[in-house]
Amino acid sequence: MTTALTSQLDSAKWSFSTRRVDRTQICDLDTRFAEARAGDLILAQVDQIGQHRRIQLPSGRPSDLFPGDLVVLACGARYAPDQFEGIAEIAPDGADMLAGGGCIGRMTARNERIKPATRLLPKGRLLGQNGVPVNLSQFALPDPARPSEIPVIAVLGTAMNSGKTLATAQLALGLRRAGWKTAAIKATGTGAFGDYNEYSDTGAHYVGDFTDAGMVTTYLEELPRIRNGIDRLLGEAQRRDCEIAVMEVADGLFQRETAQLIADPWFQSRISGLVFACGDAVAAAGGVAELARLGLAPDLLTGMLSCSPMASREAETATGIPVLRKSDLSDPAEANGFALQAGADWSRAA
Amino acid sequence: MPSSSASIFQIGQTSSFTCTSPAGRLSARIIVPAQTSGEAPLLVLHGISRNARELTELFRPEAERTGRMIIVPHFSERDWPVFQRPTRKARPDQALLALLTAFEAAFPDQAGPVSLFGHSGGAQLAHRFAMLFPQRAADLHLAAAGWYCLPNETMAYPYGLADSASPRDLFWARRHGAGLRRFLDRPIHIYVGSRDTARDETLRQTPELDRLQGHTRLARARTYVQALRMAAAAEGCPPRIALRELPGCAHDVAWAIRRAGLARMVTTPAQTGLSSAA
Repeated sequence: MTTALTSQLDSAKWSFSTRRVDRTQICDLDTRFAEARAGDLILAQVDQIGQHRRIQLPSGRPSDLFPGDLVVLACGARYAPDQFEGIAEIAPDGADMLAGGGCIGRMTARNERIKPATRLLPKGRLLGQNGVPVNLSQFALPDPARPSEIPVIAVLGTAMNSGKTLATAQLALGLRRAGWKTAAIKATGTGAFGDYNEYSDTGAHYVGDFTDAGMVTTYLEELPRIRNGIDRLLGEAQRRDCEIAVMEVADGLFQRETAQLIADPWFQSRISGLVFACGDAVAAAGGVAELARLGLAPDLLTGMLSCSPMASREAETATGIPVLRKSDLSDPAEANGFALQAGADWSRAA
Repeated sequence: MPSSSASIFQIGQTSSFTCTSPAGRLSARIIVPAQTSGEAPLLVLHGISRNARELTELFRPEAERTGRMIIVPHFSERDWPVFQRPTRKARPDQALLALLTAFEAAFPDQAGPVSLFGHSGGAQLAHRFAMLFPQRAADLHLAAAGWYCLPNETMAYPYGLADSASPRDLFWARRHGAGLRRFLDRPIHIYVGSRDTARDETLRQTPELDRLQGHTRLARARTYVQALRMAAAAEGCPPRIALRELPGCAHDVAWAIRRAGLARMVTTPAQTGLSSAA
């Protein structure tokens, strides 16, 4: 690697999604942006500040962005109804910062209520030995030799911001308090440290997301790759002696990858418990009906809905499924009952 | 992990230990025998007399004899006006979990399920804790509880697992029933004095409780054992439930230990014919 490239990479702000990358493997860069594919690492310069004023660093803190800053992000798509839709394409004259966690691509749609994307000027695509593009997939967790067997409680929801991440974190907290070695996993979505940090703060024994499985985003990825990513994450959780996993699936039931995943027999057979987060009683009834159509039945409802006793009663009446507040999920007595019914085994048992 | 103020534990001595939890502080004495065995630690829960210090002294010889570490929490009147069972306002179960977590951090080689002993209100707490967290209990030793949470739906919660009129009780009934099979799948030893028949002001008395569990602690222990055996059979669990009626004993735990050898029965469960292997 040239001194100039070393200097640029050292001064660049590397994004959270690149946290597994072994930087010593980077030897060069090119400008063949038309050939960039999802997961390739892109060195870019901040051009105009837009929606994302900060970039999330691997250390877990956000860093303010200023025009002229060098950044390293992964090329990827984005699905975020309250922000952007974007695809994994890099134009040489300018690209969009699609996610603060480190996703660069081309914005194709924007929520009316937010600013245009922060604009980036691509400087180069990072290359490894033999001129091969450096891709996040090269640093993914290993494919487990055999599938993990730990019970999985899946957390689904009606949409973004329905309360899935809070539910996942609070349930992980309750399980940890009850003495379980718990994995908190995000199966799908776009790489960002918000959910990861929220899981970590609960003291979960292992925290991982799809970026650990080599994807900056799961949007527009094919189902077998997403399944494989989940396998890798659960394999790692088992390797670290976790006894149970709480796994959030991003976005709403109708989102492309979520819809494919929850309809998948492998996924349905792999989960031992199901939490559904929603915002109101109508959403609860609709979501439960959609899940029933797919052959799934939530064990409990939670989310924004649970903040309202009246909405909770309506939802319980409409669905027959109990509504739990976040304080219930983090209660070790509640969480422990859920773990036992999911078939968890305490490895320290005599 | 809960923070703890554990100091250095001395082998062959009793140390004090305090830990925090979302439910509040809980102190305990830990008896560390001169030579530890591989047996599960024993958690000793006092009743409403809150005689943790006395129980520590009464169980100390058993710690030395068997090599078992013994943990004796003290639910102080100031911090724990109610400790006999988890309620919306008092969560002794959370405090015990935090205590066990802190204990395991201090003694990693002792990590695992513990034997649970409780007398009177302590037995009340012990069997409810084991219903909520059966994986944490290697075996259960209940002495003279005033009343029980029956493992069936003959009574509404908190006397049994049937629904009650209170929405919050629905939660508790579900939580207590979620791990019922695992709860029943471990050795459960019930002890009660043959003369524990007084109906004093410390014994909860309601017409329904009297009718369905019995009028005295002795009668209620017999009812509970029968209910446990029926529930275990219904769940397909091997019957590992024993009732020991202690001759000449009333409700005084110190008397039962000194005169009837209760502490030795608890620390040597093989004498009752039941193994503690989970």
